[in-house]
Amino acid sequence: MAGTGGKRRWIHVTGNTGQLDWCLISFAIIGGMLVLLPLLALINITLGQLEDIPFLIEIATQTQVVDSILLTFGAGLVAVIILVIFGTPLSYVLARTESRLNQVVESLIDLPLVLPHTVAGLMVYILFMQRGLIGVPLKNMGIVFEDAFPGIVVAMLFVAMPFYVNSVREGFQKVPVHLENVARTLGATRFRAFCLIVLPSSIRHIFNGCILAWGRAISEFAAIIMIAYYPMVISTLIYYRFTTGGIKESSAVAFVMIAACLIVFLALRSFTRYLGRYDDRV
Amino acid sequence: MIEFERVSIALGDFQLDEVSLSIRDDDYYFIMGPSGAGKTIILEAISGLLVPDSGRILLDGHDVSGIQPEKRKIGLVYQDYSLFPHMTVEKNIAFGMRMRRLPEAEIGKQVRQLMKQFGITPLAQRAPLTLSGGEQQRVAIARALAIEPELLLLDEPLAALDPITRDQFIEELRLLHRDDGLTIVHVTHDRRDAASLGTRMAMIIDGRLIQEDRVETIFSSPCREQVARFIGYENILKGKVVSCDDGLCIVDLGKNRVSVVADAHYGDNVVLCMRADDITVLLSDGRGTSARNTFKGTIVKKTVCGSLATITVDIGVEVTAAVTRKSAEELGLESGVPVCLSFKASAIHVIKEPVSDEHSAKNHRFKAL
Repeated sequence: MAGTGGKRRWIHVTGNTGQLDWCLISFAIIGGMLVLLPLLALINITLGQLEDIPFLIEIATQTQVVDSILLTFGAGLVAVIILVIFGTPLSYVLARTESRLNQVVESLIDLPLVLPHTVAGLMVYILFMQRGLIGVPLKNMGIVFEDAFPGIVVAMLFVAMPFYVNSVREGFQKVPVHLENVARTLGATRFRAFCLIVLPSSIRHIFNGCILAWGRAISEFAAIIMIAYYPMVISTLIYYRFTTGGIKESSAVAFVMIAACLIVFLALRSFTRYLGRYDDRV
Repeated sequence: MIEFERVSIALGDFQLDEVSLSIRDDDYYFIMGPSGAGKTIILEAISGLLVPDSGRILLDGHDVSGIQPEKRKIGLVYQDYSLFPHMTVEKNIAFGMRMRRLPEAEIGKQVRQLMKQFGITPLAQRAPLTLSGGEQQRVAIARALAIEPELLLLDEPLAALDPITRDQFIEELRLLHRDDGLTIVHVTHDRRDAASLGTRMAMIIDGRLIQEDRVETIFSSPCREQVARFIGYENILKGKVVSCDDGLCIVDLGKNRVSVVADAHYGDNVVLCMRADDITVLLSDGRGTSARNTFKGTIVKKTVCGSLATITVDIGVEVTAAVTRKSAEELGLESGVPVCLSFKASAIHVIKEPVSDEHSAKNHRFKAL
């Protein structure tokens, strides 16, 4: 952008000398192929839905669909809140210490990334089912996971964990230790230095971690149906409608979900722009 | 008064090795040494951010091992200034007072006073990352002084400043020490800083204290070759004492012998250190000089720097001499010109070379105690 006064253009392939940059152009063409895939898929499903708008509206206003979307978003939010409460301290410890134990912990956190989600679901199920290791004591306290809201939340928590912890740990690592050191010489305890210096300095990473984790949570299917087929989250509902009502019905529900997600994510992303802007020039 | 008693700290591959030093209340104390020598670690140990693996750190005679950094009232300014990026200049300076829960009115008054003192009042509402290096430096020092520390630790505070800002800053630091009576510990690898500001200093090399003394003493009598090199002796020559008579020794440099005033003995291996400006240069046919050491040789290199010229002369060993540029021109001193060099026996500082490395390490540890 040098020399153009920082004005954003749609396509920028001329470089600073005004000549065509063939390297960038060919990269853009090759990379564009990849973008075509989601774009085509999106256009395709949208065109299909626009052919029968009354049907789409009918589906979008069904209580079952609306409830299911709210349930999915809500359970995802609860999972993210739990992640913030437990994952933030963990990320700080991982960012500020160096030991062999860290590697073990990090591999454990990353486990859901490499496991097939059915496997993740099975592991969660065996642990939280009514006869499970954690399921038994919690059942005595009146909390049941099978086919219930808490079951959806733990499955989401399990698969979303690495996204939050990794993002926040990276954010904490980027905050220079010197800043904390100075804060401490100025009279802040380690905890206050964390709250007043580290947290505000990595607010963007925390927020990004939340968005990533939430996105991962609401898109989960396999792990959730293992422990809680009911109440149906949106993925389950779409699969159910696909097997019972066919393509037309299920793709209408899917389209409603796409629209809802798009709106929420665009809103969140534009909010991040105004968050922690001071570190833009670092 | 801060004392290190055989303090050792291991940090990854680095080891601070049984360092003992003492910083007095009226000191402007320099810690000097090459990069990676462990200077910053000493500052972090003083402020309590690092705890010694062994040894003790005493503050006014009391062991401070158990005292957290937030209770020590020691100001620390890092080389990168480490301003809090999400706070304005004003809030950065107020941070320490807020942590001490002073009343807001008091904080506001103090902050304004400090900003005035450092000439940064117009920057009050600016974000730190929009400031220049010199401005950030001022804010960082004002922030450290806001807690009214008994001790100010500065880590390479002048390294990143342009020459003019640097000179201004040296004056400001001098005033802080002289007028406000603040004890300052200043880490640097630049001998000019120490020469212009310091009262006492420590030379740290590879995690070890090599020499601690008054700045002038270290500059005029470095105890080891490494120190001499570091503080800028241009000529460091190795030789062996071949005779000694009433404090005047003859040192054999291989092809030449020079007379030096030194407390050495026959057979000692010594290192001779000479300042380039202590060497007199004569044309090679010049006769008659009162200096004891006179050698014939040929100029092999000449470098002009401002009003001074340094010429390197091969007299069997190569030595560097400084002359004014004018006299270099008048005498026609160029590469290849035969000249005579002479220098006074008293102009040479002599270091006794240790018998072996291990022995020397022991010696210095004892000295450090």
